[in-house]
Amino acid sequence: MEFLANLWNSFAGLFTVTPGWMTFGGWVAAGLTICLFSFLYKDNPFFKVAEHLYLGVGMGWLFQVYLFQTWKPKVYAPLMEGQFSVLIPTLLGLSLVTQFFPRISWISRYGFTFIMGYGSGLVIPMEISTNFLRQIGGSISPFIGATGPWDLFNGALVAFGFICVLFYFFFSVEHKGAVKKASNIGIYFLMLYFGAAFGNTVMGRFSLLYGRFDDLYKYSDASYFYATHVVLGLLVAYFVLDKLVLSKKNGGQEPAH
Amino acid sequence: MKKIPLFLSFLFLSSFSNAAKPTAKGAPNLPPLSGFTAADMPGDAGGTALLRWNSPGEAAEGALVEVHASSAAGAGWVKLAEFPAAAKLEKDMDLPFWAWRPSPGRHAAAVDTSSAFGRPAGEQELEFKLRLVKGSASVETEPARAVINGNWFNLSRLNNLILMLTIIIVFFWTVSHAKRKGLFIRRIAGLDAIDEAIGRATEMGRPIFYSTGIGPMSLVPTIASTSILGEVARKVAQYDTSLKVPHFDPIVMTVCKEVVKQSYLEMERPDSYRDDTNFFVSQDQFSYAASVDAMIHREKPAACFFIGHFMAESLLLAEVGATTGAIQIAGTEQESQLPFFFTSCDYTLIGEELYAAGAYLSKEPMLTSTLKVQDFGKAFVMLAVAAGAILIAAGAMFELDALSKVVTQLFKAY
Repeated sequence: MEFLANLWNSFAGLFTVTPGWMTFGGWVAAGLTICLFSFLYKDNPFFKVAEHLYLGVGMGWLFQVYLFQTWKPKVYAPLMEGQFSVLIPTLLGLSLVTQFFPRISWISRYGFTFIMGYGSGLVIPMEISTNFLRQIGGSISPFIGATGPWDLFNGALVAFGFICVLFYFFFSVEHKGAVKKASNIGIYFLMLYFGAAFGNTVMGRFSLLYGRFDDLYKYSDASYFYATHVVLGLLVAYFVLDKLVLSKKNGGQEPAH
Repeated sequence: MKKIPLFLSFLFLSSFSNAAKPTAKGAPNLPPLSGFTAADMPGDAGGTALLRWNSPGEAAEGALVEVHASSAAGAGWVKLAEFPAAAKLEKDMDLPFWAWRPSPGRHAAAVDTSSAFGRPAGEQELEFKLRLVKGSASVETEPARAVINGNWFNLSRLNNLILMLTIIIVFFWTVSHAKRKGLFIRRIAGLDAIDEAIGRATEMGRPIFYSTGIGPMSLVPTIASTSILGEVARKVAQYDTSLKVPHFDPIVMTVCKEVVKQSYLEMERPDSYRDDTNFFVSQDQFSYAASVDAMIHREKPAACFFIGHFMAESLLLAEVGATTGAIQIAGTEQESQLPFFFTSCDYTLIGEELYAAGAYLSKEPMLTSTLKVQDFGKAFVMLAVAAGAILIAAGAMFELDALSKVVTQLFKAY
């Protein structure tokens, strides 16, 4: 383990941050961002490169996270200290790997059985706590310390909306008559919520987009040798060229997928 | 001679008392903290001590109480907490009435010891003392010893246990009822459309994409999704259509493999089953989204199912699916993601509808009875909200604090 850590430190030492590396990083960031955005126009080889790179880097990152944040502190270190009880969960975890070997893949069922049982045992009491008690407590909480008619109206509106929404989710009762009316009112309450949630999330996504644009603007600077402009120009040139070649080959039609 | 037994009794009682023996420093006008006791906090996971003492009265106004603790080895005192002397009354303790009986004029504090002394697996013996501080004056109690450990039963959660037992009893009653008489289930449009989607894929000769989302196997939506996948796979096996299930979680993938294989076996089509129907993509959220997006874009499936636990990747997946013209059915319990599915999918299962899907599609008495139990649960919640709201409003109107407190504590998740 120490050998691996030393090897990694030596390797990481090669990449000490210098102005040159920062510029290179800017080119990579601007290039990959524009390559991924190019999917908005159509699928292309640059997007594929960025996609597969993203997939690989993501998996590589997660592998080292599991190695150094799970395997090392929770398996290796306790074993080195003589805590052999960690072998039980370790073996259960390793049993999942037997899926790759059809003849002994049945062993993995022990691991899965434990995961399912443990998961259910953990989730069921939690669900009762969150889906029943917290919901009821939250719905009646506006009445606690209500001082005026508006407070009472606010509490009553929340409770009424909540009850109507629950009517919509009745499955073993036919929705007709009073149940249907309550259920329809419940749908309006749901839509009000979904509209607010939609607006809220879209605003959040836009802030992420601004972040990307801000980076692209930063990398369009002379200190980064106009990385954004150059990559964008090259990509546009590729698409123009591709279009011209396609026009000649297929009479302007894109190949069928 | 009569005075001797009295004197001995006094000595005997005083030896068991943890009453403070003040050691005053500076101005001696601070009252002593009497009746100080230390014990393990009942119903916790360990690492918390329960300290109780008598109110120092108005003479301690503006003073602070410091909690000091020391390990049994006598490694010095560590200050764990500090609060105003008038705070931490027993009646303010955040515990329900069935687990905590406050005494008037007494203070109590649940003090976290784990941050200073850790939380060992077994018992932990600690000494505690309180120091009343006002300006330069201070007065201390005699140290009190307590054994801190974790408890098997948390009495505060008794309401949770009773509710769970009630649900279990109702469940067994409903199962027997469903087996005898059958149960009605209302129409769910999103689930009726599954046949349409699979039929369309069969006619067009294109694959079906099914994503179980990014939730682990312990999440209820993921479990519900595997159940729907089983039903989809049965129909896919029947029509001999191509099914592709890209996965985020390797454990979910393995469970889904078994589910799909079982469906093919039940439809007597084991020859059509392919082991690569379920495949792993990535456990990084946006890598997964980018990769599945690209697959959907290139393979142009006829139908896409996004059923399970989804977060920010929901719109990324559903939007690309919509651009390919696929019929899309989505379902998640994540209310923040549902609006995105509404805008980009043909049918959307909202929260509970997702959980109802397994029963709706299979019509098995065991599963349909779970729906009935869920409905009983909802009816209970509705009644509890209505009754609780009325009682609390009445309590506020007629100044019945005890009534409001009892109702609030009954429906509080501790």
